[in-house]
Amino acid sequence: MRDETEQDIERIARELRVPVAVGRALDARVMRAVRRLPRHARFGLWSRLITPRTVTVTPLVWGMLAAAVAMFAVLGAMHAGADLNRAAKPIARAFFPGPKNAASTSQRVQFVLVAPDAKKVAVVGDFNGWDASHAAYQAQHRGGGVWSVTAPVPLGHHRYSFVVDDSLWVADPTAPRVIDYDYGMPNSAIVVQEQK
Amino acid sequence: MLLEAGSSDAVVVARVLRGDVEAFSELVERYRDRYARYAFHMLGNREDAEEALQDAFVRAYRSLARCEDPERFGAWLFRILVNRCRTLGARRGRRARTFVVDEVALLGAAEEHPAGTTAWREEIDRALQQLRGDQREAFLLKYVEELGYDEMSQLTGVGVSALKMRVMRACERLRELLSEVYDA
Repeated sequence: MRDETEQDIERIARELRVPVAVGRALDARVMRAVRRLPRHARFGLWSRLITPRTVTVTPLVWGMLAAAVAMFAVLGAMHAGADLNRAAKPIARAFFPGPKNAASTSQRVQFVLVAPDAKKVAVVGDFNGWDASHAAYQAQHRGGGVWSVTAPVPLGHHRYSFVVDDSLWVADPTAPRVIDYDYGMPNSAIVVQEQK
Repeated sequence: MLLEAGSSDAVVVARVLRGDVEAFSELVERYRDRYARYAFHMLGNREDAEEALQDAFVRAYRSLARCEDPERFGAWLFRILVNRCRTLGARRGRRARTFVVDEVALLGAAEEHPAGTTAWREEIDRALQQLRGDQREAFLLKYVEELGYDEMSQLTGVGVSALKMRVMRACERLRELLSEVYDA
């Protein structure tokens, strides 16, 4: 009986193992979608800064590093009252400044990112197909390292992120994080509701 | 610059990560048909299978820098595809779509089937789509993709004993659904 069952299942499985072919049109669609996404740049400046690496340090260099740390500590104390808003770490926020649109299916949302060293900032999310080149979601530099854009976002729950200089993905540090379970990529969450 | 024939996945992944977007097409071509089979059997129709595949490739590109073992890009991509099939399967369930048997012919199976075996194949496809999603997933991974239970557990996040139970139930149900064909 057991052998008979196994034979039946093997017969079914053998039929299902026949290769399935998909047209090459799929390749074109995938590549069109991929070309709209930010280009990877592992050896760009950002990547070099964030990639871990092993460094061998001689005692002389240790001494120089210690001196440098001491010097920065002194300089830091001298500038204790410096403006914290000029911190290098990007700071972002999103809020709803405008009236809802005529169709009432979306709200205009302002996205703000503080990134003093950035040359370009865009907002990507499930509401624009994660397209960093989408014209409506390109942030403008407002001065002092502040970038912002106000753009329509459909009502509902959404995931989004900022793309800096076409290569660095920055989740909004002031918004709740959402983990994409496919590959553990952190994004920010936003809930867009109809204004009363 | 053209890729050398037979470049390993790790080589291609490294080129994409250095900014060569077009190199990604090599990975698409390499895995497109290999994984179309799973997506098609899991979702039961061409449209959803292609959507799942496309979605999996695009997600893989987006998060390529997080692929910890580029030499095993295929396994990593397959995990993404399994998740996309789950998501699309759930959506399909909500739409209550009807499985179209003719999709088998439309998809253009790589091997020609003699007329006598086409009906048998259609019966199998119909029975497969009547399984619960989790049982269909476990059956396909075990018997069609021929994975071991440990691999299946890593891939799905489901315990080995639960997977064995799902496979057993799937086998029983398939035999039950196909009993009339066997008898004939």
